[in-house]
Amino acid sequence: MKQFLVIVVLLLTLASCDREDPLNVDDIPGLGGDTWVKSDLDHWLFDSITQPYNIAVKYKWDQFELEINKTIVPPKEEKIIPVMRTIKKVWIDPYLAEGGKVFFNKYSPKFFVLAGSASWNLDGSITLGTAEGGRKVVIYQLNEYLNKTMPGYTPKDSAVAKQMFHVIEHEFAHILDQNIRRPIEFDAVSAGFYTADWINTWDAEARRDGFITAYALSKNSEDFAEMISIMLIEGKSGFDHIVNSITGTSIRGTTPEVAKERLRQKEALVVNYFKKAWDIDFYSLQSRKRAAIVSELY
Amino acid sequence: MKNKLFILLLIVFALSCKKEEYVFDQSPDQRLNEALTKYQAALTSSPTGWKATVEPRAGGVYHYYFQFNSENRVFMFSDFDTTTARIRGESSYRLKALQQPSLIFDTYSYLHLLADPDAAVNGGSYGEGLSSDFEFTFENASEDSIVLTGRVNRTKLKLEKGTQADLDAWQNGVWLSILSFLNIQKIEHYFRRLTLGGNTYEIAVDPVGRIIRFQWVSGGILQTFTTGFSFSSNGVVLDSPLVNGSQTIETLSDFSWNQVAQTLQLSSGGLNGSITGAAAPLRVDLQAPQRWWQQAVTADSYWFSPQGFSTTGATDLFDIRSLDRYYYFIYWPGFSVDSDDLFAPIFLNETNDGLELQYGAAPEPGFTGDGKVIFDYLGMYGSYPSSGPALQSLQQLLIPEGYYLVQTGAATYDMVSAKDAKTWISWRLAQ
Repeated sequence: MKQFLVIVVLLLTLASCDREDPLNVDDIPGLGGDTWVKSDLDHWLFDSITQPYNIAVKYKWDQFELEINKTIVPPKEEKIIPVMRTIKKVWIDPYLAEGGKVFFNKYSPKFFVLAGSASWNLDGSITLGTAEGGRKVVIYQLNEYLNKTMPGYTPKDSAVAKQMFHVIEHEFAHILDQNIRRPIEFDAVSAGFYTADWINTWDAEARRDGFITAYALSKNSEDFAEMISIMLIEGKSGFDHIVNSITGTSIRGTTPEVAKERLRQKEALVVNYFKKAWDIDFYSLQSRKRAAIVSELY
Repeated sequence: MKNKLFILLLIVFALSCKKEEYVFDQSPDQRLNEALTKYQAALTSSPTGWKATVEPRAGGVYHYYFQFNSENRVFMFSDFDTTTARIRGESSYRLKALQQPSLIFDTYSYLHLLADPDAAVNGGSYGEGLSSDFEFTFENASEDSIVLTGRVNRTKLKLEKGTQADLDAWQNGVWLSILSFLNIQKIEHYFRRLTLGGNTYEIAVDPVGRIIRFQWVSGGILQTFTTGFSFSSNGVVLDSPLVNGSQTIETLSDFSWNQVAQTLQLSSGGLNGSITGAAAPLRVDLQAPQRWWQQAVTADSYWFSPQGFSTTGATDLFDIRSLDRYYYFIYWPGFSVDSDDLFAPIFLNETNDGLELQYGAAPEPGFTGDGKVIFDYLGMYGSYPSSGPALQSLQQLLIPEGYYLVQTGAATYDMVSAKDAKTWISWRLAQ
């Protein structure tokens, strides 16, 4: 009897020891993202960018979208629509016209993060744009953005806007490259010249070796993206001007003739790539883009 | 014996069955949500808003006035400058559960002026600004006050419930009248003098960085005292007092600005004083002109100035920026093959992808024993315009009285007219 009782007690106590779930996870704050009362700006962004092109635009401050060790501030609200309107005109519309909406919406980066200031580096230089994994593009210095319709605009302000286009075109070029690889011949043009020391090189010196910018020196995929980006934002005549103004033999012994020839080879390969891979007439795209930039800035 | 064992067993089971319990009644998430709701209610509980002080890590105390509404909008005034003290700004805020319940000012506002990493905005350092914050965690909240701490720079933000009178002080320009101290920035002369109780000080005020510099001559030696300052409802308070012999300056108040006389009347320590312009520095930096010229030669570079010649009222006196495709003005010591200097506007080229020199003038600098540089005209490169802003700038450069050079940084100089100190040009070394 007593033994029976002990067993009953044991069972009872074991049963009552079934513990409850340690945490109530019903109501985690912020689960599902931030919420706030939508303003006209939020509606404009949704209707003009997110809905038609499947691109989310984050302008409200979120430290975790940016470099956490840098001092950066959020954008002024009144700059956001002008900037996104310009991006639509310069980046989106020409691609839509030449490549079509299915092409563009499929490959475009899906997430734009906007910051008001630049991101200052330890060496005193500033970063004006970054991107991650073909999905996210961060655009800095929105608060400095001016186009020619805004009061106080001087041509010097075009540098900020052009840098912005440069970053976006560069990242989009990477995405295209990652979906249909650039021609193998492109890598061969400057094989052996790529270097991690690009950071200590000026654009002018890089050009003497047949690279469009110093960053293009870093590796062949960056070279490809830089070529596309610079050709698109500078236009045909701007690119020709850069190529034709190369003078002097480089430190590594490249003559101006060879440097020009390499840039021309890369140009031809880019044009050919756009035709073959994406059925896009590069020169037509280029003139549309440049025309859009000129209408915004000059 | 068996009985005892049975009891022991019972006790063991009873003990082992003691469930773990929360220290608090509710789960962390429930409490976090409750805290956020409570703080949200607190922020919007004051229809006349909140008086606030912000203390950035770089120093100084800034006054703000906030009004929060329930739709994530915040309205504010600030004593940052005369615009922010006058025009009510609107921006966005939200509460968010980060590591602690946090208040985030999530689009640019008067508060971000302090944190902006662009030193041109706030006079702080590049990359840091004034080391201020716009994301804050709640320290405590009571009926009448809320104390918050910045998440990055530990900036103290203290909110105190404001009355209608506090709000009116901003709306009706009481704060603006204290900020009228900044009218001394309207004095036409580059050099500004404070006279107080028989002493004369040259003062330079950095209105955004909240820094004031006093210079005076004592025992034949130029003394310099630089300190931060803040505004209060009583006037301008120096972070640390200036001590010059028997004179101590702690606060400046009772400002009265006379635009015609270009004079700010004020009082300090029971004495009446004034700040007005001066045509020459209190003590001339005799070597500055040669240093300026030589620095560009040594760096194999040139000085540039986007705004050209300026006066107090006009940052671009001759409207040089109206020239088509104008980029900046440069002064290039030893530019030509004959080592002649170059003074010229630089333009964006036709294809918008480079800079070009269209024409220029060759000035010859002469350095005088009393610390001035006087430019003579040697000739021109190309054909210099015979009218317009470019010519006006050249004529200004060639004034017979010459210029003082005031070093303002490692690679920046202000070149100030020695004629009357009412015209100057700010040079930066291109590098």
